[in-house]
Amino acid sequence: MANREVVYTTCKSCHGGCGVKVTKEDGVIVKIEGNDKSLTGGTMCAKGLSSIQHIDNPYRIKYPMKQVGKKGEGKWKRISWDEALDTVAAKMKAAIADPGPQSIAISQGTGRGYNRYTMRMARSLGTGNAITPGYVCHSPRLGLYALVTGYGRLYCDYHGWGGVFPKTQIMWAKQLEISSADSEMCYWFMNSLDYVKNLIIIDPRASAYASRANLWIQPRPGTDSALALGMMNVIMEEELWDKDFVENWTYGFEELREHVKEWTPEKVSNTCWIPKEDVITAARMWAIDTPGTIQVGSSLERQANCGHTLRAITCLMGLAGNIEAPGSMISWVLPDTGLIEDFNLELPITDEMKKNIIGGDRFKMGATRTCNPDAMVKRILEGKSPIKVWFSVGGQQIVHMANTKEVVKAIEMVDFMSHTDLFMGPMAEAADIVLPAAHWLELDDVYDMHPRFFIEAHNKVVDPPGEARSDAWIFNEVGKRVVPDKWWNDDYEMLDYQLRRGKGKDGESALTWKDFSEKLISGCYGPDQVYYKYKTDFWKEGGGFPTPSGQFEFKSQHLESLGYPGLPQFAEPGESPVSTPDLYKEYPIVMSSGYRQPFYFLGQYRNIPWLRSFMEFPTCQLHPETAKLYDVEDGDIVWIESPRGRIRQKLRTFPGIKKGVLMATANCFYPEEPAKGYHGVFISNPNVLTSNNHLDPMYGSPDLTCLLCKVYKAKDEELTESVFHTEEYGFVPSSGMQDV
Amino acid sequence: MARWGMVINLAKCTRCHACVAACRIEHFLPLRVTWPRLIALEVDEGYKVDVSTYPVRCNQCKDAPCVDACPTEASYKREDGIVAIDHDKCFGCRYCIIACPYQNRTYLSRKRDPGWFPGHPKTSIEKKGEKLYPHQRGTTEKCNFCMERIDEGLPKGLKPGIDRDATPACVNTCQAKALTFGDLDDPNSNVSRLLREKSGFVLHPEYGTDPSVYYIDYKLGGNDNTAPRESQTGYVVQHLSTVYEPSKAKLAVKHERGKKAVKDNCE
Repeated sequence: MANREVVYTTCKSCHGGCGVKVTKEDGVIVKIEGNDKSLTGGTMCAKGLSSIQHIDNPYRIKYPMKQVGKKGEGKWKRISWDEALDTVAAKMKAAIADPGPQSIAISQGTGRGYNRYTMRMARSLGTGNAITPGYVCHSPRLGLYALVTGYGRLYCDYHGWGGVFPKTQIMWAKQLEISSADSEMCYWFMNSLDYVKNLIIIDPRASAYASRANLWIQPRPGTDSALALGMMNVIMEEELWDKDFVENWTYGFEELREHVKEWTPEKVSNTCWIPKEDVITAARMWAIDTPGTIQVGSSLERQANCGHTLRAITCLMGLAGNIEAPGSMISWVLPDTGLIEDFNLELPITDEMKKNIIGGDRFKMGATRTCNPDAMVKRILEGKSPIKVWFSVGGQQIVHMANTKEVVKAIEMVDFMSHTDLFMGPMAEAADIVLPAAHWLELDDVYDMHPRFFIEAHNKVVDPPGEARSDAWIFNEVGKRVVPDKWWNDDYEMLDYQLRRGKGKDGESALTWKDFSEKLISGCYGPDQVYYKYKTDFWKEGGGFPTPSGQFEFKSQHLESLGYPGLPQFAEPGESPVSTPDLYKEYPIVMSSGYRQPFYFLGQYRNIPWLRSFMEFPTCQLHPETAKLYDVEDGDIVWIESPRGRIRQKLRTFPGIKKGVLMATANCFYPEEPAKGYHGVFISNPNVLTSNNHLDPMYGSPDLTCLLCKVYKAKDEELTESVFHTEEYGFVPSSGMQDV
Repeated sequence: MARWGMVINLAKCTRCHACVAACRIEHFLPLRVTWPRLIALEVDEGYKVDVSTYPVRCNQCKDAPCVDACPTEASYKREDGIVAIDHDKCFGCRYCIIACPYQNRTYLSRKRDPGWFPGHPKTSIEKKGEKLYPHQRGTTEKCNFCMERIDEGLPKGLKPGIDRDATPACVNTCQAKALTFGDLDDPNSNVSRLLREKSGFVLHPEYGTDPSVYYIDYKLGGNDNTAPRESQTGYVVQHLSTVYEPSKAKLAVKHERGKKAVKDNCE
């Protein structure tokens, strides 16, 4: 009789959070399915289900290795954990002694749940130069929402705990339904669609629900703040704002009213290339049919006007009174385990650390706790980089940062880099030491992606391959060797520490990992959640918002004190038909790298056979009429070219995309391509085309989703890989030995 | 006797492919074999753009042309409406593949299965799968509505479409809840009600095969936003805490006005 065993855990294939039930037979996983007794009701997406192909995957990194050739050459030698960790620790210690801790960079990606470990590592070493993809994903939202709600988490209330679901839902440059990032939220969003009156999709490209929504607006990429300002203008002109909220709880209303006067529907129509009726209809739905939610997508944070765009959207929420009401935008009350991020926040960032943050002098909202990666690349290339040691975990900076060629050049110039990952990717190839990480099925950890109303347990189901270890273990081992007073004897002590504020089984003692792994979740939900916190003492004695004025600030005093305009502004992208008309003549298509597929999570999973089978080749989309104009057809392999270079993708004509706009699949490299040339990162990655010169003044975000390009069919002789095997494409020539 | 059927909600499907992945896990499908498929429909109708996804799988037709075409009676109709294949009788003539007007059958080639990772040894999961769900090469395969789950669940008193353990894997995993499974012969079943309320239809009725897979489609929006009682109590997550009560929001209950807000929200 086969021995069957069931393990409950939490998925982390995207930002995750879905409950998982794994069945093992004689120690081998035979099934992954959703846990029906979880927040996500037993559902799971293709990414999570395909995690089964991470087990016994022959391409996994199994042992620590060191680079024995030139960087990017792909010559590796297995070493012991002790040698690897001691080398990393010695490099860090040497850097701390001279020239100082600020010369260490700690970088991360978006997945796998190591956020609090990377930040604690940086703080404990004394460096403010943490590199995260936050500046193009979520961090601007956190900062700007924080100007209103204090700790910066403003989420859409899709749960109905307050008695109602949102009446009007806006999906702004977001495809929450395919969950690319937040699967757990996606489940509740789709449930709430059964109760929505107005569904508004704002996206140049048709997302899954666009053609069945009540209103679908297709603005020109990069003009979203104009649309938000225009909607506010309509609300002001027609006096549709929430009188009670605006009168009692807001600051700067009259100034905002004056400010948005110029943004008439006609002007918005000309700027965004949309019918003016769309602006008026959207504004009326939003202001009349409350409560409502705006789900913001990170495409808005990949634009150089992202700060003001998000400010404008926040003001829109305030105008309609869609803050803290059931079914509107809400800042969740935390579970009894508290803010799990306190794990890193408890180590304060000192003035000394702040002073040395790269980009901190320019980007006063963004580069306050983490450095600005684009500014860092420029500093390295100028030869003035203070970065001597780079401890990289998970993320593929080479892939997701603007101007890939410059990024690769800069990373190759860093003295020492280590990278921790599941598979060999571009960042691993650029490293000196590679550390093998464990998959979420192979580790014990606390799930907390965007700290909201719950945390969950990742329970270990099987052993990791070879000598791979969990990220928590790796961080603790490195931390222990360099700053032992800030880290723990072993990683389970560290897990206990993170959970200590929760209540244990007896209701008295501190929650421990052992109990939590059985409990699976610690959350604050249902009737325990609290709405209208500004009407209580929750944020402020006597009620109000935790802002300088104590009110919801249409005009931000904090931004003004930093030298930024207090009211939201519109600015054209760095390259656009309006800002660079001459360039537009040569590159006549507006391009965005905002095309995401539901079965990939950013740069991940192109090496998972099931997921790769859904879309083998990175694909871009053009409207059939636009395609005709430039003499390309559906199914062609096309070159997409910008002033920075050119890439190749497969073209699909798609009537659901705005005419004159090209959407390219982002974050693509080819894991199967050779290490040389960084796994084909220059072949199809749209960031080869993007510029890192025009950055958002607040957050330093580059224009990744709004630039100009031209498109033409690839010739047959250009369809071979050898086209890319040149130094121009980062292909490192072999050092002596014949390449095999 | 029941007639099992599926209702697929085109308004909710997001083309996420989770149903395909769940099926691959459930039946340990070889790499290139796919029982359910997704067909993209993207048309500009002049006045409006229609972007839709049609999830398709074996329709389990009442008048199944594949059953008629099968010379060995390997393909047969079960009493509950499911079209099944006896792989011991199938000799791979592939007449059924030609006969199926919906093209929902796959021939499993006799060539050696290269596995998930060609050129590498098979993974422990694949090896396990060869024992737990052996596929007979050289025969035809298709969706069987997870009849193994139904057959195991019914004697235990489970209701297919209601109880997870007796429901097809694709239905269980769908995050959009776009798939509904149940008894078409029961006028009060979940599927029958959906078909009445949302005017269900079948694909290509002109084929005249009477499929058991129906589709519904409608505009989103236009709904009342009142949350049902069970959403307000958060029951979905409460029974999760088998060990403890759900955590209390400490700060919230400390203040009188906060308390009132909680109370108002619950009433």
